[in-house]
Amino acid sequence: MNEDFWLIVPIAVVWAVLAVAYAVAPWGDMIGYAWVWGFGSILFVGLAALLARARPDNAPDGAVPDTSSR
Amino acid sequence: MEQSYQDRFAALGNPDRRLLVGMSAASLVALALGILGGVLTALARGGLIDIVPNTGYRFLTVHGVSIFFYWLFVAQAALLLGFSAIENGRGLMRRPLAWAGFGLMLAGFAFSMGGAHMGIPLLYDGAPALAAQTPRALLVFNLGYLLLGLGLMVVPATAIATLLEPRRAGREQRMSGVGFALFTWAGFLIVTGFAAIYTFLPGTLWALGLGAMPTNHGTNWHIVFHNMHYLPLMATVILWYVLVRHLTGVKSVFGERFSKIVFSMYLVFVPPTSLYHMFLEPDLPGVVRVTGSLLSLFVSVPTLTAFLIIVASLEVHARAQGGRGLFGWIRMLPWRHPAMSAIGVAVLSMGLGLAFAFVLIQEKLAPLLSDTFFVPGYFHFFTVGTVSLTLLAALAVMLPALGGRSLWRPGLLRWMPWLVLAGLLAFGAAGVAAGYLGVPRRVIDVAYQSQAPALWQTLMATVGIGGVVMAAALAVFAAGIAVSLLPRRQAAPHAGGLTVTWGESLLRPASSAWVGPLSVLVIVVAMYGFTTIGFEMMQSLPVTAAGGGGH
Repeated sequence: MNEDFWLIVPIAVVWAVLAVAYAVAPWGDMIGYAWVWGFGSILFVGLAALLARARPDNAPDGAVPDTSSR
Repeated sequence: MEQSYQDRFAALGNPDRRLLVGMSAASLVALALGILGGVLTALARGGLIDIVPNTGYRFLTVHGVSIFFYWLFVAQAALLLGFSAIENGRGLMRRPLAWAGFGLMLAGFAFSMGGAHMGIPLLYDGAPALAAQTPRALLVFNLGYLLLGLGLMVVPATAIATLLEPRRAGREQRMSGVGFALFTWAGFLIVTGFAAIYTFLPGTLWALGLGAMPTNHGTNWHIVFHNMHYLPLMATVILWYVLVRHLTGVKSVFGERFSKIVFSMYLVFVPPTSLYHMFLEPDLPGVVRVTGSLLSLFVSVPTLTAFLIIVASLEVHARAQGGRGLFGWIRMLPWRHPAMSAIGVAVLSMGLGLAFAFVLIQEKLAPLLSDTFFVPGYFHFFTVGTVSLTLLAALAVMLPALGGRSLWRPGLLRWMPWLVLAGLLAFGAAGVAAGYLGVPRRVIDVAYQSQAPALWQTLMATVGIGGVVMAAALAVFAAGIAVSLLPRRQAAPHAGGLTVTWGESLLRPASSAWVGPLSVLVIVVAMYGFTTIGFEMMQSLPVTAAGGGGH
């Protein structure tokens, strides 16, 4: 799990916190915000999981070319 | 040596090219229809053509729907796929998904345009209350947005699969800065598609007789609206990042990792800043208003940070090439390429747009200005000057490379963004001033049986003239780029003569770059200036305004 994964995690966390906040907010009928940011949070958790899974299992760190400077 | 974007696009296979060309063409058709609707609306609002208000609202509906929903989002989808394909280097993965998503978007466009011509014009937010007597019109209109939303959820899956493929195949350990930006962009597109479905499904169910009339459409609209104006801005800064590399060979001097942090920050900041859309809600507690005001200050942090990265990187490299003076290095940029002119105008427009946006989202000013012409006056700096010109700049790079032909008349096209800016300045200045003076938005005829101040009509006539200039220049720019879609009749010369290659230049240690920070300072000063002017002008008005439905 490298920086790509760890930079997606805060998105999922912040969106989840906001979704919960909007879900319990007693004003403004904000449940729509909760649904949208909640869906987004789950989506980015999924994308982070894809990033974690997509790394070839048989390749130790550094065994595949680092193209981050491309 | 690193392959140019032109070579990488040219190397894509025919199936990818067909998809990208089809999507780009569809986006340009939506742009053309939207421009036509916009010109007619501007002329009607300026009192330069005489039409019944209902027809004017229909023009406005076609304008808003075509441009804001279909041009901006079909073009984004095409560019996301195009740059993902060349980032991978082996073309698109799971291409049928992208075709399916594109098909949904096209069907959505047909339904939306059909709905725009039925019943009472619903404007681009499609408020169900307006269609209380014409549920069938709302059904057709909303089906368009639902199909678009589904398309936006499906197309990015292809981009995500494409960007993950090198990693899965063991050719890459971590994404490049561009790859990561495209990955987050794809995620945000999916969320926006979901928001569109969430917003327009209740009205559709009501029209089908399967649910109650949605009374909270206004609140739901703010959700999708928030996403739909942030997403194009995120796309804009990503495309600046990509295009600057193509045009100058310059990469970020701060490193790829810092760029990734900024693109991640973009999405971290999006939801917390959405609270300001609720400022017009009467039951919003004071503490929430204050919190919303404070959070809204973060709204442009990622955009400005990305801007600083790009400008500082360019300045440092230009100085290494001999650029002198505080602004002298800017002359060395490859202005002969129309994409560079478009980006230059986009940056200036963004500065103006941000300054006015900060005026609008202040808790005390939002209720006074949200229903005035201030809103269209300022947001065209974003939609036309910043986002549309950036998307067209990217298409000006992608389409000629895909078609294997050179860009049509770059010597002419490079002036079009500046002409767009000239029209935009007239439209925006008159529109913002009109807003400060209380001219309502979404009203075709502001004469009010000659009871309205004479200045209102003068300002709206200026809006009309500025709008026509802006639209004409944008149409020529888009048409010039669209020529690249025609079958090739000549061999494609390399665009090298229009670009520069500064990527290999030797940078001096501790180089300084002041233009970026200075620009941010100017934006902050302008924000305070326009806020002060706003208060002064509105205090002199004979009425105290109260806001309505918000933007």
